[in-house]
Amino acid sequence: MTRFILRRLASALFTMVAASLIVFVLVEASPGNVARKTLGPFASDEQVQILYERLQLNDSLIVRYGRWLGIITGLRADPLQNPSLGLKFHDRRGDRYVGNFGFSTMMKIPVADVIWQRLANSAALAGLAFLVIVPLAIAIGILAGLNAGRPLDRAITTLSTVFASIPEFASAVLLMSLFAVWLGWLPGTSPLQAGGFWPIYSQFVLPVTVLTLYVTAYVARFVRASMIEVMATPYVRTLMSGVVVTEVVFAYPGLGRLLLETALFGDIALIEAATLIAVLIAVATQLAGDIGYMLLNPRIRFA
Amino acid sequence: MPKLKDHHSHLIQLRRELSGGRLDRRGFVRIATLLGIGATAAYSMAGLVAPSVATAQGQPRKGGRLRLALRLGDISDPHTYSWGQDMFARSALEQLTITGVDNVTRPLLLERWEASADLKTWTLHLRKDVKWMSGREFVADDVIWNLKRALDPATGSATVGLFSGFLLEQYQSGGTDASGKPKTSQRLWDANAIERVDSHTVRLNGRNPLLAVPEHLYHKQLFIMDPEDGGVFKAGSNVTGPYEIVEYRQGQRCLMKARADYWGGGPYIQELELIDLGDDPNAHLAALASNQIDGWPWLDNVTLDAARRLPNVAVYEAQTANTGAARMRVTEKPFDDPRVRKAMRLAIDNTAILKLGLGGLGYEGEHHLVAKVHPDYAKVEPLKRDIAQAKRLLAEAGHPDGIDAKIYLKASPAWEGQVVQSMIEQWKEAGIRVQMNPVPAAQYWEIWKKVPLGFTDWNHRPLGIMLLGLCFRDGGAWNESGYSNAEFDQILIKAEGTLDAEKRREYIAQLEKILLEDGPIVQPIYRSIFSAYSKKLKNFKMHPTNYNYYKDYWIEES
Repeated sequence: MTRFILRRLASALFTMVAASLIVFVLVEASPGNVARKTLGPFASDEQVQILYERLQLNDSLIVRYGRWLGIITGLRADPLQNPSLGLKFHDRRGDRYVGNFGFSTMMKIPVADVIWQRLANSAALAGLAFLVIVPLAIAIGILAGLNAGRPLDRAITTLSTVFASIPEFASAVLLMSLFAVWLGWLPGTSPLQAGGFWPIYSQFVLPVTVLTLYVTAYVARFVRASMIEVMATPYVRTLMSGVVVTEVVFAYPGLGRLLLETALFGDIALIEAATLIAVLIAVATQLAGDIGYMLLNPRIRFA
Repeated sequence: MPKLKDHHSHLIQLRRELSGGRLDRRGFVRIATLLGIGATAAYSMAGLVAPSVATAQGQPRKGGRLRLALRLGDISDPHTYSWGQDMFARSALEQLTITGVDNVTRPLLLERWEASADLKTWTLHLRKDVKWMSGREFVADDVIWNLKRALDPATGSATVGLFSGFLLEQYQSGGTDASGKPKTSQRLWDANAIERVDSHTVRLNGRNPLLAVPEHLYHKQLFIMDPEDGGVFKAGSNVTGPYEIVEYRQGQRCLMKARADYWGGGPYIQELELIDLGDDPNAHLAALASNQIDGWPWLDNVTLDAARRLPNVAVYEAQTANTGAARMRVTEKPFDDPRVRKAMRLAIDNTAILKLGLGGLGYEGEHHLVAKVHPDYAKVEPLKRDIAQAKRLLAEAGHPDGIDAKIYLKASPAWEGQVVQSMIEQWKEAGIRVQMNPVPAAQYWEIWKKVPLGFTDWNHRPLGIMLLGLCFRDGGAWNESGYSNAEFDQILIKAEGTLDAEKRREYIAQLEKILLEDGPIVQPIYRSIFSAYSKKLKNFKMHPTNYNYYKDYWIEES
């Protein structure tokens, strides 16, 4: 069993390293060099050249990747904080700490100042949705499986197909119009600010419902096919894609909305950080799923 | 030094213009107040009644929290604010003057001002009852520090463009630019240009006359910060205004609390909570509909009809000189050729753009930023759409097959995209093939002065000439097109120092004509602006610049 867990851990670590390399290469390979992207697309060539040299961007890709990993893991100081560059980048944690993703060019603050709170918000949204989705999807799936071929099964299958086919932004706008604008039962956005007569918990209802409708319908179909042989993976993957859209529509201050805004802006430090964190979550849930599956399934445990 | 109050020569002239019908009553009030006459006296001289603080909406009530949807980006440097930070910073930081909804400029941190007869020397008398939040007295040194900082080109404030003919001079700063010309910069023209007279008096000693000094002091970047904060503004910074910022979370939330010891009237509302809902107008509408916010100061046109149907919401409108223009960087090909720039204007039918892009919610632009609502507007023959002439000009400029370009614009608000899309369709007929490149608003403000072709919105200013100084004067920080025309700059300086309304209008007409022929912008429309507020907000009056003083409003729960 220990060997199984170690093997999975090694595999997860390898996936993370590979993913970080891909993220790094993709960001580096997008048009313009890092100095240009840090200073903005229309900074003078002279300014870009100075930063290019100071950041030693002439070195090979693998050397730069190593340096970048060094900064993230706190082994190296972040050169962007060097006052002589005149970028006015200042981080109260210093220039060397674990989780140093650098500076957001969009927000002009350290990535670490913004990303963890956003991640916590997204985790709260996804976690709540998960709590609703898992029992609901299993119950619906089992109900359909036990009544295979009967009218109840056909009704569940049809409804699941319909709900899984409605994109989140459409169901979000529909539910928002119905419950917030027309009936006035729920708040229309979820900025997670208390105030007025909408407590924060009420701001979770519509986003969680949107995610639940989509993901439950999707996962229930798996459950019906294989009863309870469902791992965390399809939930998580589907949930993560849904979170981005839901956060944008409801102005929810989570990692998904941040990721979209930074991608549109071209804020490389935030893109790298948000992407790596998303990959880390995917890898960690896969690992947890594998281990959980092993504990439940003796054929794997004793193999 | 001859003082205006000593002989009233300008006032006599103004009254003559008023009685001769060359100046209307509101124009008289505006200029008389600029010259230092109190607003009430000026209204009375013009035979008008000054707007009263008492309103039809009852007596002010203290208390409550007002929640507003606004973007919350970097607020650290007030002297360089560009994307709208001033919308809320105005409730904490104050300015020396204030231009009201009636377009009349009054003292704010000043008690009064005096202009010399030649309009070159302006004496600013500070209020003696103003205290900083820290308890320190507000003094002349505070004003001098802020003026000098904002007028230092190294700061990057557009204030430079407004005062450059008056307080600044151009000099060669050493080295040459890309085209081989000596590099230039600007500096105070005299060591005594900003003079400390005593602890509560500052004198501006100008190189040239300037009539609109009090209005320029209301420029949206000219906030008075505490020098001890070193030019950095953040939550907890020292302020003179009615509210202090107690919490600022970028991109999320800002909380401002009323100051009990504020020197002026109000504030009535005890807390202002600002929430960043992103760029999506639907999210804003949903928040309004479900009472999560009480106000959306920049109501997007696309949601106007829906907002008007909300029972709890009042929609306010102002006809303004708020506008958007495609501006061409004159240092970049093919826009370095004035024939190409004029062809871009000739290919556009402004009436059609107004209808297609704005649904008629505004009026036609005239390619020179001076609007008919400006008191200094001069009517000149407008450019009419002429495809044949546009094609001929392009051919003469060496582009017989037309040109290709990419226009940068903000992804929101939606009206900007609609206007640009309409322009692109019209340009096509003249062989001007333009590709749209929308970027997030925050990114646009990083590149707006650099892209060869961009679409920039301009907020209303009380005078057209203010925009001419900001946008087209050589070396101005907001001269986004890099426009440089010595003749234009000289006429602008003359216009700025001319009191006679007719003469001034003649200069403005000359400036407008230069811009029609040679200028760097295509300006198809002026737009009405809209705000949406909960009906429980009382005493709100729509300011043409949307510069709101929340201290003057109150909340009345029904």
